[in-house]
Amino acid sequence: MRDLLLGLQEFYLLCIRATVGICRRPFYLRETIDQMDYAGAGSLFIVALVSLFIGMALSLQVAAELSTLGLKMYTGRVVGMAIIRELGPVATALVFAGRVGSGMTSELGSMVLGHQVDVLRVFGLDPVKRLVVPRLLSALVMLPVLTIVGDLIAIMGGYYIVVAVSHQSGSFYWSQIKDMLDFKNVFSGTVKPFIFGYIIACISCFMGLKTTGGARGLRRATTTAVVLSMVMIIVTDFLLTRILFYLLGMRV
Amino acid sequence: MIVFEDVHFGFNSKKVIDGISFEAAFYEKIAVLGGSGEGKTTLLKLILGLLRPDRGRILIDGRDITTLKESELVEVRKNFSIVFQEGALFDSMTVKDNVAFCLREFTSLSEEEIQQRVRELLRRVGIEEAEDLMPEELSGGMQRRVAIARSLAACEPKMILYDEPTTGLDPLTADTICGLINELSSGDPPNRRGLIIVTHKVTDATKVAERFMYLRNGRIAFDGDLQALRATQDEELKRFINEIL
Ligand SMILES: Nc1ncnc2c1ncn2[C@@H]1O[C@H](COP(=O)(O)OP(=O)(O)OP(=O)(O)O)[C@@H](O)[C@H]1O
Ligand SMILES: [Mg+2]
Repeated sequence: MRDLLLGLQEFYLLCIRATVGICRRPFYLRETIDQMDYAGAGSLFIVALVSLFIGMALSLQVAAELSTLGLKMYTGRVVGMAIIRELGPVATALVFAGRVGSGMTSELGSMVLGHQVDVLRVFGLDPVKRLVVPRLLSALVMLPVLTIVGDLIAIMGGYYIVVAVSHQSGSFYWSQIKDMLDFKNVFSGTVKPFIFGYIIACISCFMGLKTTGGARGLRRATTTAVVLSMVMIIVTDFLLTRILFYLLGMRV
Repeated sequence: MIVFEDVHFGFNSKKVIDGISFEAAFYEKIAVLGGSGEGKTTLLKLILGLLRPDRGRILIDGRDITTLKESELVEVRKNFSIVFQEGALFDSMTVKDNVAFCLREFTSLSEEEIQQRVRELLRRVGIEEAEDLMPEELSGGMQRRVAIARSLAACEPKMILYDEPTTGLDPLTADTICGLINELSSGDPPNRRGLIIVTHKVTDATKVAERFMYLRNGRIAFDGDLQALRATQDEELKRFINEIL
């Protein structure tokens, strides 16, 4: 119990130091760009793939259900809402946690175990500034970008199903999607990945820097980081949805 | 000057350092002997302020580093440079970038000058041909030599700490490394660069050090020069240094 509280305190401290570090010198531009490239460009394909299939599966289900009610022309509306507000951000964040988050933990973990982090400290460099801040920045920038790309591809997947399988009007589908792209939806769809990115980067880096105990410890740290990130994403998603509904005045 | 005053340290509930006191000047050549897991690496980390003792004081040049903030420790750490057990090279960088790391980070030298200085350092440790390789492509001995070169690039340290620099190497390579260590700390006191070498290879220790400490159960069980070491009456230590008796 005491360890847990101490761990939480350390975690919050790391979060605060990393956040403050974003806007304080020195800036490690090359590191940051490197991380962005890995996190963003490297994840693009898998995010696109996942989103495409989620979009297609979702619109198949929705079209099937709505057509029994005789409302299948509204497929686009439901699909667009579900993807932009919920599925897009959450699915992308889960993929991101699995791919980039685990990478952050295992990389930092092996740097800790190999004393590379100690060497940085002996040289007088702050590991938080040098290692955590670039990763945090890359997650903060790249996850929203990936989410937008993912949303787009999922919606195109939905379009394919609607037009090719369900034989509906494509232009009507797009006009409904356009209806869904109002401020409320777009806002809630971009706030979420931003916060998810923060959560993933902080948890992953924290677990990485806390690694002890050889290969086994590294395994434990990586698993914990990914599981914790995923749980936190889903819980936070619910809380955020509640808060956003309240803030944006949406009634349930 | 390094001063330990009754320093205690443990990981969680496990006691590792159990009341150590000693004094050492920066120009001294010290070997810390001891079995595996006796806390030799821990001792080096305490000197550098990478770990904080549970009790006791550690004074470096008169400043108590146990109460300093991380940012204030930077100044203290400038006195030292460390070569870790496995080299601890940055494995995402080439050998050249590893050695150039500090030069790039802390000096405003031009790229041209950095390249030249790196080549010079690599020649000094005898592996200039490896400059474009990645650390994982090097053998253990080469990795340690690169680590030594990297530690030299960091603003001329007053003292170099070596954590088992020869463990796991063949006798010839170990000998080369010892020669290198000696070369880097050559000269007469007090104007030479000191060293602390942590090892359980007694023969290598005698090649480079003048003062010997033996760590047992978290305490210093022996502290003295080579003559005193050879004359020790301690049965366990006698067995430990068997090869040089
Ligand atoms: N991060 C850690 N967490 C918990 N215990 C640790 C940690 N690091 C070391 N220890 C314990 O502290 C003791 C001393 O470790 P240390 O690394 O200083 O030993 P050592 O003398 O350098 O041994 P070796 O010769 O094997 O390198 C060991 O018994 C080890 O179990
Ligand atoms: Mg050790």
